Amino acid sequence: MNVLEIHELTRKFGDFVAVDNMNLKVREGEIFGFLGPNGAGKSTTINMISSLLRITKGEILLLGKNITKHSRFAKMNIGIVPQDLAIYEEMTAYENIYFFAGLYGLRGNELKERTAEALEFVGLSDRAKELPKNFSGGMKRRLNIACAIAHKPKLIIMDEPTVGIDPQSRNYILNSVRKLNEMGSTIIYTSHYMEEVEEICSRIAIVDHGKLIAEGTKEQLKSSITDTKDIWISYKSEQPLDTERIRQIPGVTQVLDDEQEQLLRVWSKAEINNLNLILQQLIQNQVEIRSVDEKAATLETVFLTLTGRNLRD
Amino acid sequence: MKDILWLARRTLIATFRKKSSWIMFILLPVAGILVSMMIYGGGTGGTLRVGIVNEDGDSRITKDTLSFIQGMEQAEVTVLDEESMKQKIAASELDTGVILEKGFADSVRSGHPEGLTLVSLKGAQVTAYLKSMLNNYVDNIAAIGLSAGADQTVFDKIYNGYSQKSFGMDASVVEDTSKAKNMTYQSLGFLIAFMMFSACNLTELIIKEKENRTFLRILTSPISARNYVLSNVMVNILLVMLQIALTLFMLKQVFGINSGIPAGELVLALMLYGLAAISLSLVIVAFAKNSGMAGALQNLIITPTCLLAGCYFPVDIMPDSVRKIAAFLPQHWLLQTVDDLQNGTAFGQLYLNLFILLAFAAAFAFIAIYRFSRNNDTRTFV
Repeated sequence: MNVLEIHELTRKFGDFVAVDNMNLKVREGEIFGFLGPNGAGKSTTINMISSLLRITKGEILLLGKNITKHSRFAKMNIGIVPQDLAIYEEMTAYENIYFFAGLYGLRGNELKERTAEALEFVGLSDRAKELPKNFSGGMKRRLNIACAIAHKPKLIIMDEPTVGIDPQSRNYILNSVRKLNEMGSTIIYTSHYMEEVEEICSRIAIVDHGKLIAEGTKEQLKSSITDTKDIWISYKSEQPLDTERIRQIPGVTQVLDDEQEQLLRVWSKAEINNLNLILQQLIQNQVEIRSVDEKAATLETVFLTLTGRNLRD
Repeated sequence: MKDILWLARRTLIATFRKKSSWIMFILLPVAGILVSMMIYGGGTGGTLRVGIVNEDGDSRITKDTLSFIQGMEQAEVTVLDEESMKQKIAASELDTGVILEKGFADSVRSGHPEGLTLVSLKGAQVTAYLKSMLNNYVDNIAAIGLSAGADQTVFDKIYNGYSQKSFGMDASVVEDTSKAKNMTYQSLGFLIAFMMFSACNLTELIIKEKENRTFLRILTSPISARNYVLSNVMVNILLVMLQIALTLFMLKQVFGINSGIPAGELVLALMLYGLAAISLSLVIVAFAKNSGMAGALQNLIITPTCLLAGCYFPVDIMPDSVRKIAAFLPQHWLLQTVDDLQNGTAFGQLYLNLFILLAFAAAFAFIAIYRFSRNNDTRTFV
């Protein structure tokens, strides 16, 4: 069963088309990765699913119901974890969750129980009576999640929930996402951290320029780019590399130079044997080659191949 | 409605958790009354506290003069020595002092009165009335003294007739209501300025919640933007009512100032103005892009318009051209209504003033709604 269906979704801002005729399906019980470079149309799509933005054309169905026609039903069944913290600093953790859960019509004991459950879920029960201003970044992020899940939505949309937090909190949040999923929630997850997406998402969609350019499981996406090879060259050089010359070598599609790590990554068409030319170019420029390795395709390779950009660009 | 009440509950709790809100919504209107009392109050409610130093002994004229002062309306007389009198005047325990110097009675008897001294720190404002009354009294006896010449028998005869003369007179005291009216007017002037600031302060919450993103989270719930704004307006109306009730209660029950206007009429006029203030605050929020801009707009709009309308000082002292500008301000129409009601105009005859206040409220509300509806992006608009 599909929890979410997007049909020919379009959103225009004046002449600018932010989302262009997008079609997408999210199945029940999935953790669905929603990726795209900055400005690709991810946030606009999420805002339309959340009913924060009007749809220019097309439709969105939640559990089979059109969200424009059944706005209240849709909102009752969606929980949004926004990228920016959306909590009241002058209210305690308990009061924040209590208030936001109350917006969904919960009252009395049920509201108190759901608030306590959400606090427990994000590990903040012992800090329930404290103001968020005393919390670490990770704890605030967890409170941000708790405010979105207390009403037990069927679909949870998490927009960059791990931005700017320590590894320990990140692990806590990733585990929470898995746990929520096990408890029956379907999750749409966006992140700039490819390793997170690779770790927790069962299916992934990649959008660029407002269009869906790829969709499938990790394996399906990786196998879709068998015509690309990913070459890792570790080097030593006092001068910055001339990546433009390497980019001009026949078959090379993308070049990424990590100057700090002194690691050059070259994506090239698999059928063209151009490794000699690449190495020659480097040696001519007094670059000492330490190692050369051809890696199997990763999700990042897929993303770079399809969008021409790194996810964190 | 449940949604609106839930949101209003949070707004009220969040508002009254801040100490600054108590100052803004409760203390400032009361402070306004105190300032008005300081400006228009003063005096001791009509009683003149007079200290008398009698250095002239028990002669009849001296005793009668003492009795005359004691018999004066609203004079509270204490007989004491000169040193004590000076101390009490310095300590504001007495308003003025009268010294009947030795030889006072003899000088009056001879027709050339002297030896009567008035002492006061407050000057003519306090002594004028007493001085005038005493001069009149003493001059009359001196005139008898001059007429009688050295003949004591003639003097006694005329003086007896003078002092025993009694006139049938009905006295009725008319209450001086000007002070109370001025104080009420000024207190309401401050109140309406504070009401406007309070309304803006509360409406500014909408912008602040946009800035801290909680507004977006609220809109992803089943709450509509319209209900969100309505909840803010509801809290605003509640607080306006509270400010009005508190100010009128303090004026009448605590400070004992009679506004001279039936409470119901005053409340109705103030509420209409309150609606205009709330609508204006919505206009400010609709046009402001952030809380800094809203604060600046508040100061640019409220302070000058309140000054022009006469909230801080009477509009009468301003030039005609400025008074004409005031006619375009809701504050002016409320103060005009208060003034007319205090001067006895029937409430029913002031329908135009009330209609204008209502029109201000409606016009501001329409501008705010229009501005809100023009922006269909919920990230920047309600």
